[in-house]
Amino acid sequence: MGIYKLDSYVLIIRGKDRLSFIDGLSTNKVDGNCSTVFTTTAAKIIDLVEVIDMGDFIAIVGHQPYKDNLIQHISKRVLNQDISIVDVSANNSVYLSTNDVVVSDKVTKRKTWRGWLLVAPNSDAMTPDMSEDEFSEYRVENMIPHQGHEITPSVHPLACGLGNLVHEAKGCYIGQEILARMRSRGRQGKELVRLPNPVDDATTTGKTHSLAIVRKKSK
Amino acid sequence: MDCNTCDTAPAVVINKPEVVQVALTISDKAKEMLESAFGDDRSHALLVGVLSGGCSGYMYDLQIVESTDQDCQELKVDGFRVLVPNASSHLLDGIEIDYVDRLMGGGFKINNPNASSSCGCGESFA
Repeated sequence: MGIYKLDSYVLIIRGKDRLSFIDGLSTNKVDGNCSTVFTTTAAKIIDLVEVIDMGDFIAIVGHQPYKDNLIQHISKRVLNQDISIVDVSANNSVYLSTNDVVVSDKVTKRKTWRGWLLVAPNSDAMTPDMSEDEFSEYRVENMIPHQGHEITPSVHPLACGLGNLVHEAKGCYIGQEILARMRSRGRQGKELVRLPNPVDDATTTGKTHSLAIVRKKSK
Repeated sequence: MDCNTCDTAPAVVINKPEVVQVALTISDKAKEMLESAFGDDRSHALLVGVLSGGCSGYMYDLQIVESTDQDCQELKVDGFRVLVPNASSHLLDGIEIDYVDRLMGGGFKINNPNASSSCGCGESFA
């Protein structure tokens, strides 16, 4: 395995309300480094982001094609909070490494549930050595959902393998009522599965197995 | 991440909604409850604000305050001083402050013509 270049955006959020603001709008408990999901009132995904706590600011890293929707979603909810948002996507490149690699001081490295996330300034850009097929294979092997494949605006987090990022006790956020009801009634509808090939409607196809989102079988 | 880039990167424009001159009403039951909360001391004010978050995106925030550092418009409604932050004025114009007398889920309630939906507990709206 190796290093794969992600198609990501990087937003810098400053201000004393930066963590509570993100916490109040997303599924996971946000009090430092974490992965969390922004959802609509219908609990559909806006984006999965990595929150990187840099001390006096946080960076949120998400999927570039979903950036505009996320910005529209969060910017209209800044009311009296002390928040400023800066888009530094053009100045940085984002990678996912399957191993813990040594990086320069200028590269920010955080271990996440998907692997090591690396945010490098363009001056210290890294050389990815993993093809898209190899990245897909890694994801299929480890059942890691990815934006544009399993994680899309038409599904909710429980259906695409992001249930571990839906905190059960954090309190209200947009979409929380629906997700809590699905969980408490055991009715999440669909789920992410890894099946041997061939797989109809696979979301990611690997050499021997594939990922797919299928209707959950009732027990 | 090179943080020196932050100064030169484009800042995301945070929509600053237009400040609206708010008109609001207080129901008879809510008036009764506010009178009992304030007593004879009318030096304090009822702060009616909105916070982001909650199940539907915005949450009401009701407080009795002496003053606030928020940029507010001050209204006089039925003898009560009411403060409404300008930042959330566009979400609060036309509301009615009501009081629901119930053992569970009772208390002050906001009827908001600007809300397209609200969550079950009534504290959050979109």
